[in-house]
Amino acid sequence: MTMMYQNRLPYSGTVILLFLTHLSMLAMVFIRGSLVAPGDFLKLTLAVLAMDIGYLLITLFYKQMTYTLDFMLLCILGISLIFQSCFGGVNLSVKHLISCVMCLASCEAGFLLTRNHEWIRRHKIYIYIIMFLLFLAIVFLTDNQKKWITIGSFSIQPSEFIKPCFILVCSASIVELHEKLKIAFFYISKDSLVLCISALVIFALQWWCHDLGSLPTFGMIFLCAVFCRFCYPKAKISKRLVVIGCAVFVLVLVLAWSFAPEYVQKRLHADIWADRYGDGYQQCEALIGIAKGGWLGVGAGNGSLYRIFAHDSDIVFATVCEEWGLLNAVLTVMLILIMLMTVLMNPPKNYFHAMMTVGVTAGFLMQMSLNIFGSCNLIPFTGVTLPFLSTGGSSMMSCGFLVGMLKAGQSPLFHHEAMKRKKQKQRRKTQKSRKQVSTS
Amino acid sequence: MKSIRRVQKLMTAMLLLFLAGFVFLIYRLQTEAGFYISNASNVSLGFVYDRNGDVLFDPDADAQVYGSDYFLDIGNLIGDNSGQMSNTLVAKNIGRLANFSFMLGEVEDGQSAIYATLDHKVNRDVYDAFGSKDGCAVAYNYLTGEIYICLSKPSVNILNHYEDLDELKTGSLLCRVFYPTVPGSMQKISTTISALESMGYDKLMQKRYTCEGIYTKLNGKDIKCHLDSGHGEQDITEAFANSCNPFFAQLVEDMDLPLYDIQKTYEKMGYLVNDEGNQKYLNINGISAFTASTTLTGKTDFNTQWGCMGQGETLVSPLQMMVWQSAIANQSGTVTNPYLIQYRTTVSGTVTAQAETSFGSQMFSEETASHIREIMLDNGKNHYASLLPGTVVGVKSGTAQVENGNKENSLLTGFVDDPDFPIAFCIQIDDRVKGEVSTSDIAEVLLRNLHESFFPAEG
Repeated sequence: MTMMYQNRLPYSGTVILLFLTHLSMLAMVFIRGSLVAPGDFLKLTLAVLAMDIGYLLITLFYKQMTYTLDFMLLCILGISLIFQSCFGGVNLSVKHLISCVMCLASCEAGFLLTRNHEWIRRHKIYIYIIMFLLFLAIVFLTDNQKKWITIGSFSIQPSEFIKPCFILVCSASIVELHEKLKIAFFYISKDSLVLCISALVIFALQWWCHDLGSLPTFGMIFLCAVFCRFCYPKAKISKRLVVIGCAVFVLVLVLAWSFAPEYVQKRLHADIWADRYGDGYQQCEALIGIAKGGWLGVGAGNGSLYRIFAHDSDIVFATVCEEWGLLNAVLTVMLILIMLMTVLMNPPKNYFHAMMTVGVTAGFLMQMSLNIFGSCNLIPFTGVTLPFLSTGGSSMMSCGFLVGMLKAGQSPLFHHEAMKRKKQKQRRKTQKSRKQVSTS
Repeated sequence: MKSIRRVQKLMTAMLLLFLAGFVFLIYRLQTEAGFYISNASNVSLGFVYDRNGDVLFDPDADAQVYGSDYFLDIGNLIGDNSGQMSNTLVAKNIGRLANFSFMLGEVEDGQSAIYATLDHKVNRDVYDAFGSKDGCAVAYNYLTGEIYICLSKPSVNILNHYEDLDELKTGSLLCRVFYPTVPGSMQKISTTISALESMGYDKLMQKRYTCEGIYTKLNGKDIKCHLDSGHGEQDITEAFANSCNPFFAQLVEDMDLPLYDIQKTYEKMGYLVNDEGNQKYLNINGISAFTASTTLTGKTDFNTQWGCMGQGETLVSPLQMMVWQSAIANQSGTVTNPYLIQYRTTVSGTVTAQAETSFGSQMFSEETASHIREIMLDNGKNHYASLLPGTVVGVKSGTAQVENGNKENSLLTGFVDDPDFPIAFCIQIDDRVKGEVSTSDIAEVLLRNLHESFFPAEG
């Protein structure tokens, strides 16, 4: 089985490439960056290297079929830490460092929880419960804006954690052999019903929270799930259901378009240059910043976008472009894309993981599109975070968990293997205890 | 595994879609970066020059350097970077004037510049020829499309930095060459073209109608002629020269000229007829110029007939009236597209975007163009021989009633029948009263000065 999975680069080669990337970026900070005190640069260098070495050491303690994703995630997080620490002047962003570490930990958690598809399918009820608790948290525990739960100086955005849960619900629901119930005129499976209700509740909550920026991401994940439902070989789809489903989808789009709040309508038809100092301010400044940066950037910490609100989250692509140049920003986005593409190199071996990876890819791509194209005025500006590059602990943890799910698709643990491992463990334990008994 | 492959195909499609969007974004950022940077507060902009190297726009213009009203005649055409005017050459091309490149970033001593086709000296002469009157004038080379003269009075003196904004006359911030105006009898060119297209030359020449100073329609409404005693019986050539309203009213009513034919010819010429469809605009290096619009509902309808004579609801821009002259002068029925920018230089001084002559679609047949040309030349020979001595000029004049007939604008359009001096023009004087400067006077100044600029005296 192991031979079927590929690390396109040998382990040592990948490690060298990882360090070369980070060291060359740090060299660029040193040469072109806005350095006030050498100590700041040293702190940043140590933090990046410590994160790299620390995680690589941890990977030695467990066995996977491929480490490509781990290296890529580590590479992207290092780049992200350097970016975030240089906006407006070189100074290690401890908060972002913690977010990166949490992202790595979350990645492992995602991997461990989802690599055995049979296990997770058997325990899907817990996913439903977690998601339900997250819904309750949004309704009862969030602040005035209905987005954040604030505990001391920390803020948690529960809707970020719904993303991995929703993808798991999609995967678990689609894969099940369906026992269909007759509801009105339609035969529908219990799992599909749960999926549809979950989706509806999420959409309603997003609408209620005025967090419409995340709606397309959930919508995309749901659409992919519906598409995969059709691709599933055991699926028997009623044509009537398909037609009604399409009609409902179109109707929902039309209604959403018509009844969207005024601020959303405004953004859909915004001429940012005509409203440069109003609603178009962030985007205009972002585009001017990108232009100022050109291909090679003005140098780390030498930009001016850091003065703009949400420079490190909603318009982070533009801030990176200004300081590091469009070339570096493009390469970083390509790195994220390549990370998503690894699923094509090492395809999942079961339909649950395939569903999961397509959900993760759809979520990431939609969120990246909304952030990058929105801040650059190609599509309406929604103000969502750019995966891995924007600040925000909740977002980073959620992204990490999603990458863990991608990794699980590439390094799955099959039930019989798990059982085998369990038996081996037990055997070793009994042998040990026997030895102890004999020696005593 | 088949289903997993399908899922992978879906992922590939999504990734490719994102990549396509990303590539498009990079292309757009790269090409529009000049525009973005021109919106930054401290960006360095290049100059705009005329065809002889005179400065038309200087971002740091100073009255002490140029003189207090140096930019007055081109204030609302070339504009500036203040953001006060949006439909000007600078406003529409500000990204190209920025001393900036995506690779080099901002370059303080960059060489970004626009070289316009205008002749600033002649433009100023024509502006001054208006004296105390307001109006506009435009002239271009009907073989190549280069605009030499383009002005609109009242204008704005950009060196005053808009401190006198409250005192400016209405329309000072717009170059009215690009905006709709009531064409008056100039419309008879379009109506004659429609008649030629529908009936053919021979049949049209056979049509003779009598003008007794007033033509009473069947519904009792009168169409008056500017000559109270009437022009008597005339053919199209005479009626065109006399600008006789009763003749044209009877021509529009004639069963041999279906209204549908007039509508179709008008539409081909760029009119928006009866609000069916979208208004068309000419693009002059980014500047948006109105074409024409009218309402034609019934052959015997009072407003329709006036519409065919340039009143009613008919509106045409002076630029469009001039551009039609190229289709007539060239005897092709195809207009030569006008332009204002000869070429640009990039931040590194490389010449780019060199203008090329382009033509519109065919509006009417070559035969029609040839006949209307003869009719206009005939009019020019008989009534406007003094415009440019030694040269025949095809001309149509007109008077347009505006503000419910309280004011009359005077208009003149035409072309010089000389391949070495291929000039088409249109002039409008607002609220002209007899005895004041006329459109012919302005045309004389325009053609004479332009001719001198074309063929400078030796020694």
